[in-house]
Amino acid sequence: MSVAGTLALAAVESLGAAARATAGAPPTGLSTAFVGDAVDWEFVFRNADYLGVGALLTIGLTVASILLGFVVGFPAGAVEVYGDGYLKRAVTVAGIVLRGTPIVVILIVMYFVVGVPQINLGVASISSAMTAGILGLGLRSAAYQSQIFRATLASVDDGQLEAGRSIGLSRFEAVRYVVVPQALRRSIPGFQNEFTIVLKDTSIVFAIGLAELLTRGYDLFSEQTTAVLEVILFISAIYFVLTFTTNRALDRLGSYYAIPEGEST
Amino acid sequence: MSDDDFLRVTDVSKWYGEEQVLHDVSFEMDRGDVTVLIGPSGSGKSTMLRCVNRLAEAQEGSILLDGEEVLSPDLDVDELRREVGMVFQGFNLFAHLTAVGNVALGPRRVLGLSETEARERAEDQLERVGLADQLDSYPAELSGGQQQRVGIARALAMEPKLMLFDEPTSALDPELIGEVLEVMHGLVDEGMTMLVVTHEMSFARAVADEIVFLDDGRVVERGPPEQLFERPEEERTGRFLERIASHD
Ligand SMILES: Nc1ncnc2c1ncn2[C@@H]1O[C@H](COP(=O)(O)OP(=O)(O)O)[C@@H](O)[C@H]1O
Ligand SMILES: [Mg+2]
Repeated sequence: MSVAGTLALAAVESLGAAARATAGAPPTGLSTAFVGDAVDWEFVFRNADYLGVGALLTIGLTVASILLGFVVGFPAGAVEVYGDGYLKRAVTVAGIVLRGTPIVVILIVMYFVVGVPQINLGVASISSAMTAGILGLGLRSAAYQSQIFRATLASVDDGQLEAGRSIGLSRFEAVRYVVVPQALRRSIPGFQNEFTIVLKDTSIVFAIGLAELLTRGYDLFSEQTTAVLEVILFISAIYFVLTFTTNRALDRLGSYYAIPEGEST
Repeated sequence: MSDDDFLRVTDVSKWYGEEQVLHDVSFEMDRGDVTVLIGPSGSGKSTMLRCVNRLAEAQEGSILLDGEEVLSPDLDVDELRREVGMVFQGFNLFAHLTAVGNVALGPRRVLGLSETEARERAEDQLERVGLADQLDSYPAELSGGQQQRVGIARALAMEPKLMLFDEPTSALDPELIGEVLEVMHGLVDEGMTMLVVTHEMSFARAVADEIVFLDDGRVVERGPPEQLFERPEEERTGRFLERIASHD
């Protein structure tokens, strides 16, 4: 598919999301707006900074949530494959609960019920809403990432682990040096998927008062209702660049670590 | 039977769930001996082999290796496996590592050699099996015969005192069997103690000190190859050997 085609698709996808977000109060003027309107584009670019801050928030939330999701989700997946007893059961149940709960509910629980504190890092501090956002999105991502890793760890042939043990590696070492490197390689496609989902789902943090990219876009076209399409296109382009570059980077990582296969058998 | 047998397997029994797959299996080997296990598919050959390095757990009996009880619950199985090499029917090479990476992993992570020392040892072992020109190839880039030779080098790199071979040539195209058997012949000449499951009867005849015929998890008959092949005492042994011969 051409880059332009992909861009158009991404725009349509984001439009859908925006349409859902605005379902309660449909902005007027949508029918009269037309994309080439110079005044509206000028309005968008005048507010690029405002949207830029939203984009940074989106990126920050995504990166932090994906990282937290990995740090928690990878061991969780490993426990589901190699663990037993209470630990395994606890991990499985936690995963089912997290995957079965709407993300808005998770965020609201984190923010209003658990009441996570503001985190002070000296140079900067992370607001408690931001902390709640990262924890909520991160833990939910962990629940999904654990399933990616559970599947890829289990997909590595048992003979690999056995061969590792046959030269005297402990079970942990055999998993660490033989199974994990192969499973991680197989996890890249699932991980790309998960990244894209988390990136788009960051918009949900409006529920706890954070204004990331999409929320800010909504604020803007509520202000100037003739600029709906221009704002949406601009935002979609940002989402597209983020997804595209990250997926390309993961593709590169995948081919760099791809295991060579010869023609001979 | 002498007191100083290197490997002494006595009345080993094993169950998988309700099904008993080994019935009081006994045999013994001296240092430097080659013993070949033969028998129909499903007779328990692999299971017997795997009990020796504890990849499978025997529930009854005794396996003494160099005077130590392998089946003891206190035994350090990782230590045991350091000293007992295994070669698999399906090669089981580490798919993400090159030939050198496969062979160096044990020396590096188990024996604690440095990166350079482990690589050197791996190169030496690969040279030993005739693969000096394939050091940096990945398993998928190698022929089956080459892969199995990497598998042998991987086991040898741990400097084992006993080598277990589980049908090392069964997965190979006929034209690739020779190169693997040649490497195994070399090990015999060097005096390696080897317990081998194979259907390669000419190999068995040439190198085995003793043949053990298993059927239904029981030792039906055992003895030196001349006796077992020429004058089998049990009817079942004769029938099995005829069947094998007609496949060649
Ligand atoms: N992991 C296992 N679980 C259950 N049964 C097994 C397992 N491995 C082997 N068996 C059974 O044990 C018997 C002996 O198998 P095996 O030792 O593989 O025989 P051989 O190597 O002689 O073909 C067979 O009946 C087989 O089905
Ligand atoms: Mg077998």
